[in-house]
Parts: sequence; structure tokens; C-alpha cells
Amino acid sequence: MVSALHGVLLECDEPTREFILSLNEGKPTAEKFVIYDLDDTRLFVQPTVVNWLEQRLKEFAEENTYQPPAKN
Amino acid sequence: MAPLKAAKAKAEWKKRARKPSSKVLLGAEPSELGADDLEELAHDKDEYFRLGDVDEQFRDYAALALKGDHANRPLWVCPDGRIFLETFSPVYRQAYDFLIAIAEPVCRPECVHEYVLTPHSLYAAVSVGLDTQTIITVLNRLSKVALPDEIREFVRASTGNYGKVKMVLQRNKFFVESAYPKVLRKLLKDPTIQQARVTDEDDEGLAGSFHRSAALPDQAAAELGNTDVGAEVDADAAPGLDAGEAAAAAVAGALHPEREVHSFEIEPTQVEHVKARCLPGGLNYPMLEEYDFRNDTINPDLAIELKPHVTHRPYQEKSMAKMFGNGRARSGIIVLPCGAGKSLVGITAAARIRKSVLVLVTNSVSVDQWKHQFKLWTNLQDHQISRFTSDQKEAFTTAAGVTITTYTMISYSGRRSDESAKVMEEIANREWGLLLLDEVHVVPAQMFRKVIGIVKAHCKLGLTATLVREDERISDLNFLIGPKLYEANWLDLTRAGHIANVQCVEVWCPMTKAFYHEYLKKENAARRQLLYVMNPNKFQSCQFLIQYHEQVRGDKIIVFSDNIFALREYAQRLRKPFIYGGTSHQERTRVLAAFKRNPEVSTVFLSKVGDNSIDIPEANVLIQISSHAGSRRQEAQRLGRILRAKQAKPGAVGAGEFNAFFYTLVSRDTQEMFYSTKRQQFLIDQGYAFKVITNLLDATARGELQLSSEEDQLNLLAKVLSAGEEEAGVEVLADADDLAAKRSAGGGAVRTAGTLAAKSGAHGLTYLEYDTGARAAKPRTLTKAGKPRHALFRRRAQGKE
Repeated sequence: MVSALHGVLLECDEPTREFILSLNEGKPTAEKFVIYDLDDTRLFVQPTVVNWLEQRLKEFAEENTYQPPAKN
Repeated sequence: MAPLKAAKAKAEWKKRARKPSSKVLLGAEPSELGADDLEELAHDKDEYFRLGDVDEQFRDYAALALKGDHANRPLWVCPDGRIFLETFSPVYRQAYDFLIAIAEPVCRPECVHEYVLTPHSLYAAVSVGLDTQTIITVLNRLSKVALPDEIREFVRASTGNYGKVKMVLQRNKFFVESAYPKVLRKLLKDPTIQQARVTDEDDEGLAGSFHRSAALPDQAAAELGNTDVGAEVDADAAPGLDAGEAAAAAVAGALHPEREVHSFEIEPTQVEHVKARCLPGGLNYPMLEEYDFRNDTINPDLAIELKPHVTHRPYQEKSMAKMFGNGRARSGIIVLPCGAGKSLVGITAAARIRKSVLVLVTNSVSVDQWKHQFKLWTNLQDHQISRFTSDQKEAFTTAAGVTITTYTMISYSGRRSDESAKVMEEIANREWGLLLLDEVHVVPAQMFRKVIGIVKAHCKLGLTATLVREDERISDLNFLIGPKLYEANWLDLTRAGHIANVQCVEVWCPMTKAFYHEYLKKENAARRQLLYVMNPNKFQSCQFLIQYHEQVRGDKIIVFSDNIFALREYAQRLRKPFIYGGTSHQERTRVLAAFKRNPEVSTVFLSKVGDNSIDIPEANVLIQISSHAGSRRQEAQRLGRILRAKQAKPGAVGAGEFNAFFYTLVSRDTQEMFYSTKRQQFLIDQGYAFKVITNLLDATARGELQLSSEEDQLNLLAKVLSAGEEEAGVEVLADADDLAAKRSAGGGAVRTAGTLAAKSGAHGLTYLEYDTGARAAKPRTLTKAGKPRHALFRRRAQGKE
């Protein structure tokens, strides 16, 4: 019996994948969103979380970026 | 990277500026953008440059009218006090000298410099002898646009009362001096000042008259005036006019009539009150302090001469000219990059004043270095120079001399040993001709107040390379020491070959999977730094760079790491010597000597101890693997380690004109990226560009380096994770090397070095005398008057024994 799952294939670099996995770890079992961990650069995830993930990734990237304060 | 982008925008803006156009649009994205584009950009939030009202830095000065011959003038003066200088202008040099005197540099990249006028900078301008009118006229002359009214108003308001009154110490009498008798009269109406005045008997009848004398015209200021008039002549003249004629015309135009100076004497005890009365809160005539050292006959002269072989570089001359502009010594701060010969400037000032000198430095290693410098550049002998540190408490044997000590020694408030108390007393009782303050930026303002309270000095000179502090307490220095007298432009010095031409590179190292996995775990928060420092990709980049520079170019390399665990691990894996706070003095000397002389030892690993105090002129490559969070000062100080001018190596396979390299290895996607950018800000403002290398190593190069197998990497990871908390953290220096950092450490544990004697409370006790003679052993039976003592007192005295 073939079972089909609806999902989104994410392709990213290794650190990003680690970050996404760590987000996944932090969730209770019912809310885990990674369906398959395919390989070092690919993940198969629930389609519902894509927007949220993008948001989180942006925030995370900003945390590590320095903006010089405005000079007056 | 945002800052690079900003620099680029300015460069392009320069191109635009060349085009004749009657409108100026500042802060705008360059060239061909229409109004529609601007609007669109303003709505696009991802765009770094938000334009229009959304961007608080955006200002529209389209209304400013350009002068007809604007192409010949170097400055853009904006109504908000910002000034932009074109460095490609033919009169750049003159304009730069003038601007540095009146404005604060904000950012100085290659093509267009940004300056800002502040009350402090104008105060500094006045104190080097420029008056309000000169500032306005010259600024107007150099500006492409008609000088905005706001600027005129601002300059007048900020300088109107500054510099009108001077406090001069002459023949050990204090005089209030001014070129404006009106001002003096006004001051004398104040009861405090009236009481403080010393009235001669001859003068009794004429309460309104003052001593009169002719003042030397201020040469440095006159020069500034001159060169700038020269600029105007250049700008206005037909191209045929030769430079000689232009200069002659300039001098003729700027001849100052000799000025008359009026003064009255005040009581030495009242000096503080008079000064306080004149501050902005009171009469609002802040006083400038000058020291007429030539006429000081009370303090003994110091027989100090510069050795005949000493030559000054142009910028050293210039800073001296600012300090001694009118034949007197002014207090202030001189800013020169590391390695540009700061100590020579200090020593020259000392040789000019020829009185006793007190030098304050940050640690005992620098004390020795300063002593060495004094002996190198001047004819002073050992007996004229004394060091006052916890190890050496010397006193000079002559009437005048040089004392070198540390800030902590002077401001220490606990109990001192007998010996050191004696030296301290001597320091406090002496009238010093010059107080030299090295590395003024590191010392907390509180400590300064204390030092300045203890030491009586006629003239204070602060030296520093980096006038930035993370706690923004720089402005305090303005009042404690004096205004900034001179600041050199790093890029100009580089171009002239006075300091090394450094290529700054940021190397991005991706985190490996396993390391990043651990990095993201919450329970590893304390170990994060260690994880990104020990990133195997970073290690490989480091190894690769060391191999490249050692073998291909034959360079001398320093590797910096704040983290002791990483320092040891890297050094041991690569089989290189390393030095950290715990390394013994002998070991340190041995390693450094080997590094200097032995061609086999071309790399040394240093912890934070190397930031300031270790002088390694040979090194020309610096690799940074970890650093103290976002400290801009540390970055600049570290760069200073390789900034000393380098001899070109014959036959070296060169990367073009660069002769020094500054690498920062950064692990991608970690906090380190944030800190790294922040740290670079100061150097970027000095005009340095950081080149970013995103992938230094490809797979084949990796294979030949250590840690290339996954197994090795996992072993390393296990080691990192099992490292103790203390090991994982940043080194805390036992030595009071970094005063500011130590203060800000706050709640964290601070290690201090001490002897067992100190812990037991016996520190500094050398010899004590107790009265144990027979007289004390027996209680007295007679009172002092000779009568028999009352029984009660006799008993009590016995009980005491």
C-alpha cells in the first residue's frame, strides 16, 4: 500500500539545516514538523510551517548581524 | 557588508560631486535615481539604504546654492554641522589641517571624509589659537556652498566666550590673561574674583588698569590662516599663476597685527575658585590653561636634549607645533596610530619644556619601554630617570628628572609600604613641568580625576591611538586633560610610508555539522564561544594561512586568541610556541627572542597579554582566531602590533603593495559575525577596507590539513565539550593590564595576583620597631608631675601589660 504525504522539500546549507533541526527538537512531539531528514542539505517538512520557518531564519540571521548605530 | 557598501556609496557620490550641478542631495543613493525609484526604494524594507523621510540620516539640502567656482573648493558644509572633505582636491592637505583643528573626524575612507562640528571640537580650535572670525571666514572660503547661517550661528555661540581668558602660570604667579580688557573688567566685577586679585601698591589708584604685555603671535594658528588663504588664492587664481606667487600673496594677506595682552594677578590659593567661577554655570568664560615654561625660574631645569640623530616626521612636527603654538605649552591630547612614534612626540614635548616630567603608563612592561625610549632619544642617564612600580621604587638624584609610573600605582588608595609612601609623597609635593599620559583611552575617568588631584602639573599631554571607548566616556577627557590638539589620518601616514600598509581580511569559515549542532543547544550557552573558536574549518584555515605565509612569503606571524583552551589546542597541534598570562617571565623572553632571531620560529601564539604590552616589531602577519566580544579598541590595538613600518623583503613573492596582513577568522552563522563587524567599525572609520573571503579552502586543500577526517573532528568536539567552565571562558588577566575591561567585568570573578605575604596581611612590612625596653615593662608609679599615681591608674596600667 503506497501512502502519500503532502510536504515541502527544503534545501539549505548544513548550518541552516542544523538550526531547523534544533527548532524541531524544541517542539513537543505532536508539533514536530520535520517529516524526513533526507541528507546533509535536504529536509522534508510539513507545508504549514514554511512561513514561520522563514521568519525564524530571518530573525536568527539578524541576531548575528551588526548594524552600526546612526551617527549624528 | 553594510559598511563597505556605505563607503562605496560615498565614493560614487564623489563622482557625482564633480559634475556641475546646482543641486546637492546628501545621503542620497548615487546618481541616476529618479524620484519614482527613490519612493520605491523607500518602501522596500530589505534595502539597506532606506531613503526619504524613513531614513533618519537622510537630509535634503537641495536648497543650498553652489558657488560659481565650487569645483576648486574642497568642502561641503551642511547646516547640521556635518562637513564633507574631498581628498582628491588640490588643496586637500591645507583643508585637512584646518578641519582637523576645528572638527571631529567621523569617517575617513579614501575619497571623501566626513567631519562634524561639535562644541568640543570648536573649543579645541579656540584653544589652539583660532578665533571665531577666522573659523567662519576660512570655512566659508573652503566651502563649495555658501556657508549656511546655522553654521555661522553655531560657531559664534560655541566659541564666543571660549578662549577669551587664559590662566597663565608665570614665574610661579598665577595671572588671568586676556586680549580683551573689557572681559577682564567684567570678570573683576565678580566679588569672588575681586577678592582673589593681588593688587600691587603702584596700581592701587588705578583699579581699572592691567599689566600690559605684547603676546607672541600664535604661529600655528597663523599658519592655518595662511595656508587657507593660500587655498583661496589657488582656487581663485587663473591657472597661470605659479605657486610661489600664490604663497607670497597668502602671507601678505594674513599678517596679524601684534596683539596686546592684558592681565592681572591672582592669589595662588584662589585659583581653583576663580576657575570654577568662570565655568559655563557662572560667568561663562571657560579658561584655557597655558604654561609659560621659558619664564618659569622657580622650578629647576632638566638638562635634557634630544640626540642629534633624532628626526621628526612631518606629522610629529605638526602636533608639536599645535602644542607649542605661541611659545607656551598647552594641555591636550594628541592622537596618533600605534607604531607612528607616539613616544617620540611625548619625549620631544619633554625636551621642549625642560622641566621635571611624570610619565603615566598602563603597566609595568611599558614603564621599562618608556625608560628605554627616553635613553634612546635623549641624553638622559639612568640616575635622572626613575621608575616607580611595585618592583622598582627609585628616585632620581638630581634636582629635576623623569619619573615613570603606572596609573594604578598613583591612584592606589590602600596602605602603601614605607618605601612607596615616600616616593608618593615626593610625587605629590613636586611641581611637575609636564604630565605625560600614555594610552589615555583605557583609564576610567574616576581614576584620572584622582591622579590629576594628586599630581600638580603645569601641562598635561595625553597620547593615544584610539580615542574610542565602548562606554562613551571620551568626552570627560576634554575637561580632565584638555582638548584634542592633533589627530593624524591613518591612510595618509600609510601612503607616506610611516606605517605599514595593511591588508585587512575577514575569512568566513563555515561551521561543521557536528559543531553547529552543539552550538545551537541551549545547555551549551556557556561553551558557545569555545565551539565557534574550535570550529575545525577555522583551524584548517588558520593552518593554511600559517603555512602559506611561512613557506611562500617568509613572514613572521602572530596568532591571537583570547581563549586559553583554544590557544593551547591550536599551538600544540601546530607545534608552535605560545604565551599567555600564566607563562613565566623567562619563558616569555625566551620565546620572543627566538621569534625575533631564529628563522625556524616564525609563528607565535599570543593570548590577551600580547594586545598592548608586547612589542614585536618583526611581525607582519596577524591572525585573529578569537577576540574580546565587540571591542573596537582591542581590534585597533591588535592591528597596531603589525603597524610599524616594514622594510620591503627582497625577493618575497608579494601580494602587490601590501606589506602586512591582518586576518580575522570568523565562524559563519554564529555570534562571532556580529562581534566581528562591530569590532571593525573603528578601523573602517579610519579608512581601512576589510576584504571578505567566503571560502578560503576547497576540498582538495582541506585534505592535506589536520582535522580533515570526521573522526578527528569528533574527537576534538568531545574534548571541547568536556573542557571545564574556566577553561572554556576568556582569560582574565591577573595583571592590571586592561583597567577598563576589568572594571566592566562587574559580577564575574576577578583573579588578582598577590604574594602569600599579602594574603596574610604582612604585605609591605619590612621592619617594625616595638618599644620593649625596661621603661615600658614597668608601669609608672609617678604621674608626669612627679606625684604618686592614684591607685586606680596604677592598677589599670598593670592590667594592660
